[in-house]
Amino acid sequence: MAEKKKTTTKKTETRKQEAPAKQDVKKQVPAAKGAAAPVKTGPSEKPRIGVFICHCGTNIAGSIDIKEVEAYAKTIPNVAHVDNYQYICSTPGQNKIITAIKEHKLTGTVVAACSPRLHEPTFRRATKVGGLNQFRFEMANIREQNAWVHMHDPEGATSKAKDTIRIAVAKAALLQDLTPKTVPVERAAMVVGAGIAGMQAALDLANAGIKTYLIESMPSIGGRMSQLDKTFPTLDCSQCILTPKMVDVGRAENIELMTYSEVDAVEGYIGNFDVTIRKKARGVLSMAEAEAKGISGGGCNGCGDCEAPCPVIKPNEFEVGMKPRKAIYINHPQVVPLLYTIDFDSCIKCGLCVTACGEKKAIDLEAKDEFVKVKVGTAILATGFDMFPVEKKTEWGYKKFENVITSLEFERLICASGPTGGYPIRPSDGERPKTVAFVLCAGSRDNTGNGKPYCSRFCCMYSLKHAHQIIEKIPGCTPIIFYMDIRSFGKMYEEFYYRIQDEGAKFIRGRVANILEDPKTKNLHVFADDTLLNRPVDMEVDLVVLAAAVQPMEDTERTRKLFGVSCTGDGWLQEAHPKLNPCGTTTAGVFLAGVCQGPKDIPDTVASAEGAASAASIPIHMGEVELEPYFATCIEERCAGCGMCVNLCPFTALALVEKDGRTVMEVTEAKCKGCGTCGGFCPGGAIWMNHFATPQIVAQIDAFLLGGEQ
Amino acid sequence: MARTKGYPEALEKKLNDQRYYSEDSNPEFTKNVKAISRTIAHMCFQCGTCTGSCPSAPRSSYRIRLFMRRAVLGLENEALTDPDLWLCTTCYSCTDRCPRDIAPTDVIMAMRNLAFKRDIIPVNFLKTVQAIYKTGHGVPNNDVNRAARERLGLTRDPPTTHMYPEYIKGIQTILDHYKLKANADRIVKEREG
Repeated sequence: MAEKKKTTTKKTETRKQEAPAKQDVKKQVPAAKGAAAPVKTGPSEKPRIGVFICHCGTNIAGSIDIKEVEAYAKTIPNVAHVDNYQYICSTPGQNKIITAIKEHKLTGTVVAACSPRLHEPTFRRATKVGGLNQFRFEMANIREQNAWVHMHDPEGATSKAKDTIRIAVAKAALLQDLTPKTVPVERAAMVVGAGIAGMQAALDLANAGIKTYLIESMPSIGGRMSQLDKTFPTLDCSQCILTPKMVDVGRAENIELMTYSEVDAVEGYIGNFDVTIRKKARGVLSMAEAEAKGISGGGCNGCGDCEAPCPVIKPNEFEVGMKPRKAIYINHPQVVPLLYTIDFDSCIKCGLCVTACGEKKAIDLEAKDEFVKVKVGTAILATGFDMFPVEKKTEWGYKKFENVITSLEFERLICASGPTGGYPIRPSDGERPKTVAFVLCAGSRDNTGNGKPYCSRFCCMYSLKHAHQIIEKIPGCTPIIFYMDIRSFGKMYEEFYYRIQDEGAKFIRGRVANILEDPKTKNLHVFADDTLLNRPVDMEVDLVVLAAAVQPMEDTERTRKLFGVSCTGDGWLQEAHPKLNPCGTTTAGVFLAGVCQGPKDIPDTVASAEGAASAASIPIHMGEVELEPYFATCIEERCAGCGMCVNLCPFTALALVEKDGRTVMEVTEAKCKGCGTCGGFCPGGAIWMNHFATPQIVAQIDAFLLGGEQ
Repeated sequence: MARTKGYPEALEKKLNDQRYYSEDSNPEFTKNVKAISRTIAHMCFQCGTCTGSCPSAPRSSYRIRLFMRRAVLGLENEALTDPDLWLCTTCYSCTDRCPRDIAPTDVIMAMRNLAFKRDIIPVNFLKTVQAIYKTGHGVPNNDVNRAARERLGLTRDPPTTHMYPEYIKGIQTILDHYKLKANADRIVKEREG
């Protein structure tokens, strides 16, 4: 120990010796910058930096020696004032910054605390209140990137904190005044996906007086919820509570509904997104479209005359393939909009439907995709989910044994408007099942790579609901639920679990190992370990329902890339912050609603949709948004007009223009995201990245190299 | 003890203290099992897929899930002294299906390794060692098999150490290197005289 302490003292000494050398470098840098920088309010005065070290309770002070760091900070060149406090983000903590700026005539502030993602706005505000430009603030992260990860190495953590602060001071000394740019916000919004999340978000936006484009790739709205029979734990009829909302969406004046449409391209930035929508060829004119084409009194009225003569039969996707549909079809009788669609992939263009439609002239067999451009201020993605292809887990025999079905197929079989009129049957012989096994976590909570590592969150509850429904519809039928844990976490959910057990459902705590079919009876043997009894089980049942995992819709990947939204490893869209900004994304002006962000049940989905609508309406109601002034600027006297940066820019923010008889680059500041690609590349050093300028970064590197041990 | 005086031994055993105590748990055991098995033995969440898949479980008292639990908790003595440890057929069905991507079979093999270090091993396993040392086969060829092979048009002995006994020496060198044969002989002698 004694030896170790010696080394630390030695380290400090070395640094002191090197300090003058470092100062020399610093002096050079502002000079170099003076030549390079465009006319800006550069710090002509000698920098006076205030350093504020936060304890964050014991989060930082627990592993970093604050006193030692404070003593060291006083020795850093350009530092005029050093202070520390329990919580700098608190009001007294912020007041320390405000008063110090005035008392010590500071030109810049450094707070050594947590991540800028958490408190950069707080300290910028304090810096501004103190009388400095808010961009004269720099944050040194000594919590997430130091105290927390080096919890068991206090000496190393303290030494690293010194480095971090020295580097931050080097940058703070060169920071410049910047003014955020404001841009107007288009008074319209877009919602992608018209399931329950998208519908709710669109209705909220529309009710708040905002013109909303609701885009849906399917021919009708309602999404997954419209396929369900009942909803847990209240056992409301899903269609009954959904259809009023569907009708509202169809009628809302502020909603422009575009079904059978996809987002094709997105350009622009918050406040000004230019979105191209591809309206897929539907082959059927709505009444409004017919009117516009001069066919008075024409267009599709949903009478269905066209459907009967159509000779093409295809599986109905809405019924999970368990019912036929024609090539000209509606998915179910309650569709919104009530408008037929031609599946041109299977249509043989025989023209029988055109004849049947007659004078309404609604059918156009030669229809082509159309492209529509709209401008919106903000956008909400609500692209929803799909079922995991559970046949990949071969041990459960889905698509191999007729009487093994998925929970979504079960929903349709138990639904009054489904293919069997709500009369649940076994697919093999149409008989009523007497024992039904429900397999939970079918592909969820699976780390094998052939499955999903996450909990799909609503399977436990809908399987309880299925157990209730089968007891209700088939007297004497016993549901057997194979589970690992019953996750009944929501309001009235645990009570629902109690109720279902009371109604006679049997619960076996064990994940199903495999399923085999008796080839004669088509009954199934479910093998598992009853872990509570500690005995293996072989349960013969009539029907097996796999509560398959959920995964993002196939098209999510394409859509998210158009909007520049990130995703997690399993494909769910990534929120800006899981706790404090669950609806926002890292792209300003783009928000998330519903399951596209991660599995949610209906209450959570609707709550998330209302959150997203509220967040998306804020910039629109404010009328303008402030953009971070981190954009690139062109130092015109150095620009050779080569145009290489123009092609490199990922945001099409740069262009070549004629100025005073020369070709130079010009930046569209609102489009520029400050990524620095152009600035790093420019062969003439003609691009100045605000707040991340080359001299500022070089000063940071120098401070690290020259100030540290070599 | 006094309470059960005069009762059969089985009942006395049933009335023993059944709890396990913190000192029964040896964290080093979990680490050793992980190191030897090279699988994440501490990650079991007790779903029972292993026992449900196990061909041994329905016809024996062997419960692979219990051994996984002992691996997680570090219950070394309980795991190594349980004679069920030797009932695994190493079919790897549990490993195929484990949703946590653990290889329970390899956990069992690791525990057998650790048990053998404490001379805990059924004699029939040791006799297999002796058979391999002698013939190069755990189950050497016999006259019934030889006749069957002939009927199928095969050589009476397979092209292994049976056909090339000169290679048995190599196998013996390996077994001797690990003192497997010497230990097997010693334990068999201790048990059977």
